[in-house]
Amino acid sequence: MSEPDPTQPSEIEITGLSKTFGQGASAFTALADIDLSIRTGEFFTLLGPSGCGKTTLLRVIAGFEQPTTGSLKINGKEVAGQGPNARPVNTVFQSYALFPHMSVAQNIGFGLKMLGRPAAEVKETTAQMLKLVQMEAMADRKPSEISGGQQQRVALARALAPQPRVLLLDEPLSALDLKLRKEMQSELKRLQTETGITFVFVTHDQEEALTMSDRIAVMSGGRILQLGAPNDIYNSPAERFVADFIGDTNFLTVKVVEATDTIAQVRLPGGMLQSARLPEGMHPAAGDDVTVVIRPEQANLTEGGASPLSATVTHSVFFGTDTLVHVTLVDGTPFTLRRQNAGNPTPPAPGTQVGLTFAHGALQVIRE
Amino acid sequence: MASDPNQQTERHGWKWLLSTPALIVLVLAASGPLMIVIVYSFLTPGNMGGVAWEFSTDAWFRVFFRRDIFDPENVTVNQAHLAVLWRSVWLSAQTTVICAVLGFPTAWFIATRPPSQRTVWLFLITIPFWTNLLIRTFAIQEMLRNNGTINTALLWLGVINEPIPMMFTDFAVLLGMAYVFMPLMVLPLYAAMDKMDFRLVEAGYDLYASRIAVLRHVILPLVKPGFIAGSILVFIPSIGAYVTPRVLGGGQKMMLGNLIALQFGQGRNWPLGAALAMVLLIITITALVLYLRAVNRQEAKRDG
Amino acid sequence: MARQFSITRLPGFGAIALLTFVLLYLPIIILVVFSFNANQSQSIWGGFSLRWYEAAFQNQQVRDVSIRSLWLALVASGCATVLATLAALGTTRVSRFKGQTIIYALINQPLMVPEVVTGIALLIVVAFLKVQTGYTGMGYLVLAHTAFCIPFAYLPIRARLETMDRTLEQAASDLYASHFQAFRYITLPLLVPGILAGFMLGFVVSLDTVVITEFVKSAGQDTLPTYMLGQLRRAVTPEMNAIATLFLALSLCVVTLFFIVTSKRG
Repeated sequence: MSEPDPTQPSEIEITGLSKTFGQGASAFTALADIDLSIRTGEFFTLLGPSGCGKTTLLRVIAGFEQPTTGSLKINGKEVAGQGPNARPVNTVFQSYALFPHMSVAQNIGFGLKMLGRPAAEVKETTAQMLKLVQMEAMADRKPSEISGGQQQRVALARALAPQPRVLLLDEPLSALDLKLRKEMQSELKRLQTETGITFVFVTHDQEEALTMSDRIAVMSGGRILQLGAPNDIYNSPAERFVADFIGDTNFLTVKVVEATDTIAQVRLPGGMLQSARLPEGMHPAAGDDVTVVIRPEQANLTEGGASPLSATVTHSVFFGTDTLVHVTLVDGTPFTLRRQNAGNPTPPAPGTQVGLTFAHGALQVIRE
Repeated sequence: MASDPNQQTERHGWKWLLSTPALIVLVLAASGPLMIVIVYSFLTPGNMGGVAWEFSTDAWFRVFFRRDIFDPENVTVNQAHLAVLWRSVWLSAQTTVICAVLGFPTAWFIATRPPSQRTVWLFLITIPFWTNLLIRTFAIQEMLRNNGTINTALLWLGVINEPIPMMFTDFAVLLGMAYVFMPLMVLPLYAAMDKMDFRLVEAGYDLYASRIAVLRHVILPLVKPGFIAGSILVFIPSIGAYVTPRVLGGGQKMMLGNLIALQFGQGRNWPLGAALAMVLLIITITALVLYLRAVNRQEAKRDG
Repeated sequence: MARQFSITRLPGFGAIALLTFVLLYLPIIILVVFSFNANQSQSIWGGFSLRWYEAAFQNQQVRDVSIRSLWLALVASGCATVLATLAALGTTRVSRFKGQTIIYALINQPLMVPEVVTGIALLIVVAFLKVQTGYTGMGYLVLAHTAFCIPFAYLPIRARLETMDRTLEQAASDLYASHFQAFRYITLPLLVPGILAGFMLGFVVSLDTVVITEFVKSAGQDTLPTYMLGQLRRAVTPEMNAIATLFLALSLCVVTLFFIVTSKRG
């Protein structure tokens, strides 16, 4: 995946933004001191579990909530304090929020009508939008008369019709079934590329975030824990939460033997030495205990013969294309690895002694 | 979650002002006059109806007691008033019981129909609820009169030789009230049953309970809130009934509402009427408060 | 074949339920049937005839009170609906404020206070005003009926507002609608079924109200129910059945309409 050009201007500039609901003892901090810059034309995803503040952040950008402190600039203009109708952003709601008493075409034309555009222009743009989302045949239907996937397309068209600078999408695919979701993922990606509009996408689905985004911000407890391209987030999680939330991971406690600025030599249980990548700004000393993460597919299994890191198979779970093999290391730590089934017809029996090896760069030290 | 838009409320302090026109009308034509009734109950009756502006607790005294005309020291309980008061409470209680006994199976019947039929049965129960009370009372009168439907039918069948006088009896009033207020019992009972989880009934039978045991230990406790709501909805209009006892009870079998009205008509004792109205209001409010307490207790039980 | 065990069956309940329905409808059906009776009796059938409907239509007094009733119900429920809509907009979807309970209590008072108490309370005030101002017109009845209809109109409007999806209004303001435009294009059209339901409830309630009218009316201001109440003391003819049947038919139409409006989703 190509990195967006960092020299591109930023579309949304958020500095020192926080949002608190309620007052006094019942106050709840939904967003704490957020700094974030979203670039023009990128597909940006806010990822996190429910209650992490991602939806609140989206609603602050949309103007449904006003920030308690901090600044929010869209296209260089300060918009904190302005209502949603004064901002050049449009939202695709989780529930779609299609107006039930208007036809599909009226829904799509609503924004332009409110902007006071001439009727002819409203009609023309509506027709374009219907074509863009392949809903021409449904123009006169009411939202209740079309399917969930079609409602999703109409919600998209309605939000795109006024040609906003930024499109905000609040878990727009969560109500769709798996097959339709996959279709809409590529559809969304296509629309974003075709229109060139900046997309800010909220989801709790890590797979969705990884496949669609140019960049991802992982959020928890009202903060952004890590910001980066999907492969950075997946391969180099900086914190336990990020590693745990995205994909399956093994956590091992290891001892640092020596460390440079970016690489540490660590000793695994059983004595094997491996090099592990260090997160930015972390400088452990020799002798420190640190935690490393290893993705299950980065570990390999050898049967028979001596190995620097031996383990005992406890059980295996068959997954079709691959098998998850659960083992315990010599010191009793559980470890899971993923083995391709191609060429490995039978999983190792429980109790089998096996050896483990790791792919190059498989170990990543995380902050605790 | 705090950012659920449907949980949020606007904080515009001026918004309630939209309700002022309605409030003005209500104060002018509902709560204001009610306050004046309280004042009137402490005044002296005027000569030709109305009041004289002199403070007096005589009206309240006369609600329950009476003085001998020739011997003012001789105070006795006002039997006539207490009889009306008792009849009102007793007939209302009986009405409530009749409605519950017939209403529970009816609500159960509706709740256990297939969903497509249920709307029709519900509609059938709701129609009488929204049709004119006077017309329904008139319909009952037509049944009960000496030459009414019931007597004509019985005479024709040869069961009786002379019409049974049923009008202007407690029975007529009771029948009429049970008839007109029945939907008020069925609807809340149905609402409670509709919310009920029928898997609990299945669980009851699964655990070897008989039909009676399931009814007693599973169904009745679950629909209790419906019973409480239905009882209050039947009892309150019964105790304040005016039209039904007037048409079916006549002058002899008065209820509190008729006694109150009488003081503003032939009786011409407005303060006494006002005091009696306050008595009726106090009974109504007491019933409402007891109901709210019962509801709160039920809710507390459920939460706890 | 033996009867299948059904968990929803309780012995005798079906019979009692059907009996209840019969008891509920039998008197009304008999009333309607005898409105078409050819002879004077309300219990002995003498053949089909429309003579009592003719008599009712030719009865000037019946015409007058019917028109007065309809006029009063339309005006009072119309006023009540406007006031209740404003009140519902003012009291729903706002954070709790001081005096909210008082407002609710005021709005619902006519529902909780026995009608006869409201009636004599109005009688006292209206009698005083009639003497003081000399005005004895329909204004008192309109005001009394309006106040009485407000809680009935308020209920469905408020229910509709409370169940309305607020993201719709947010979507409108996201699509550049001002506060007023969001109300005009989204909130108000979606509120229409609630407003209609409120109007119809108010209409039926005003049409039904007999006690309050009885106490408030001046001479010559009888409505259909108070006229009927007065007539019931005399020996009544099937003409009364005919009037009652027409009245019943009107109520039935409004209630059916109400059901259709409120059961429509979205």
